[in-house]
Amino acid sequence: MSIQFKTIKELKNMLQKKEISNKEMVEDTFTLIESNKHLNAFVTLNKEESLKKAENFDNNPSNLALSGIPIAQKDLFCTKDLRTTCGSNMLSSFIPPYSATVIENLESAGCISIGKTNMDEFAMGSSNETSFFGNVENPWGEGLVPGGSSGGSASAVAAGIVAGATGTDTGGSIRQPASLCGITGLKPTYGRISRWGMIAFASSLDQAGPMARTAEDCALMLNEMCSHDPKDTTSLDENVPDFTQNLNSSIKGMKIGLVKEFDLSKLDNDVVKVFEESKRHYESLGAEFIEISLPNISLSVPTYYVVAPAECSSNLSRFDGVKFGRRCENPKDLEDLYVRSRSEGFGDEVKRRILIGSYVLSAGFYDAYYKKAQQVRRLIKNDFVSAFEKVDVIMSPTTRGTAFKAGSMGSDPIQMYLEDLFTIPANLAGLPAMSVPNGIVDNKPLGMQLIGNFLEESKILQVAHSFQSSTDWHLKTPNGDIS
Amino acid sequence: MDKKTVRTIAHLSRLSFDEKNEEKITNDLNNIIKFVDQLNDAETSNIEPLTSPLEKTARTRPDKVTAENRKEAFIKNAPSSNEDYILVPRVVE
Repeated sequence: MSIQFKTIKELKNMLQKKEISNKEMVEDTFTLIESNKHLNAFVTLNKEESLKKAENFDNNPSNLALSGIPIAQKDLFCTKDLRTTCGSNMLSSFIPPYSATVIENLESAGCISIGKTNMDEFAMGSSNETSFFGNVENPWGEGLVPGGSSGGSASAVAAGIVAGATGTDTGGSIRQPASLCGITGLKPTYGRISRWGMIAFASSLDQAGPMARTAEDCALMLNEMCSHDPKDTTSLDENVPDFTQNLNSSIKGMKIGLVKEFDLSKLDNDVVKVFEESKRHYESLGAEFIEISLPNISLSVPTYYVVAPAECSSNLSRFDGVKFGRRCENPKDLEDLYVRSRSEGFGDEVKRRILIGSYVLSAGFYDAYYKKAQQVRRLIKNDFVSAFEKVDVIMSPTTRGTAFKAGSMGSDPIQMYLEDLFTIPANLAGLPAMSVPNGIVDNKPLGMQLIGNFLEESKILQVAHSFQSSTDWHLKTPNGDIS
Repeated sequence: MDKKTVRTIAHLSRLSFDEKNEEKITNDLNNIIKFVDQLNDAETSNIEPLTSPLEKTARTRPDKVTAENRKEAFIKNAPSSNEDYILVPRVVE
């Protein structure tokens, strides 16, 4: 029986009933990787180690929550003794001496890390066109981008190669590719998942999360990914609930907020139609829609493009060609070593963001840009705090439209930045948010976004699961079938 | 932002560009700065800046050694090293 397009829950069952051995499951996964090579979803494979682990599970059956489940890891998480590139030439031969906490958590739960997925360089991009290792293809159509920055993870799940993958989300990097690839992805509350061993982009915004076919699978992964980690000073010391517990509770009477300031009239008619249909579906399930106002939301993207580059310019100063990473040939002195190693190691988008960051942090501009953006960030957060006094969750489209063609955004970076219009606000406020497949336009999938209040991942998962229990958008596959 | 400013921030960032790219980068940066200038529309007097969504101060921990010395493992990733040290071009003549 093929494992392609199966959910984590289904794979668990297959293993438990011995319909397939652990080793066969891993072998089949690598066969699927091979037959989907054109997607360029993977940067590094972990075949030998994966087979060894699988054989070990066959010989010593375990009761671990995700025992034997193949998982693809975004190449932004450090994996001990397994190359970790962050999609950059700077780290093209970096082999970490330790694993990220989230990788350790998943592996302790029995997951098999089958390989590292391609991504926008240092997670800076929304189309997976900035990776040093080449573009990733969206399985839904030739030449279509999978979104970014977790594009390799999204593409691998959408192609049915793996049932689950890890992603990271700084301004939408889990939710936007999930929407464009027709899968389910969740960014938890800031601090839920340890950032230790995650290569930092913007530390006050970065958060790891699960990408899978269903909300239920996201809950299963999230259960294992969350932990309080003393090694990450921003890690939350909060009780981690069983995220699967409330999945089947009724959403009758649930209040869903619609953001007045999100002007959907600028989107394609078909995209709006999909969103309206989902609203009607939720009404039929007993939810109630309430208009809410987030008066400062229109400033989210400009706020983000000050805060994120500022933090990135600071974080990426560690890549200096000295201790690890790429070093230029024959440096004439230390200064030359720094400048040439960085100039050769980083791609254009990364350089652009470092420069913007250095500018907004420089003397004379700090107050006008960086401090101002942080003040607006508080206004945006306050807007959400008020809104959540009236509603349980907030719903919007995840993206402005479906997957676009590679190269079609032109050379103006701002056009690409606006791709994350709907997703950035949740990062600024630190709120949990997810993308759930809710329609298909021109044979391309589309997602809706559910934003929850602080620590209320369970609630958005419940709202997503109720939708998936009564629709089949999340089961559609790129080849036109329903899995 | 003129080319001189771009050169200054490039120096601060330890990045360099050839002539051809300088034009494009200056142009891009100007567009991005123009775009984020929208922030001036917001009234923010007396608003405390938000540096992190959790607004919690960093935790402290007892001053005890928790990590083991793994010099070999870490030095392996250095582009140039000898047994004990990471090597860089001579700094002091």
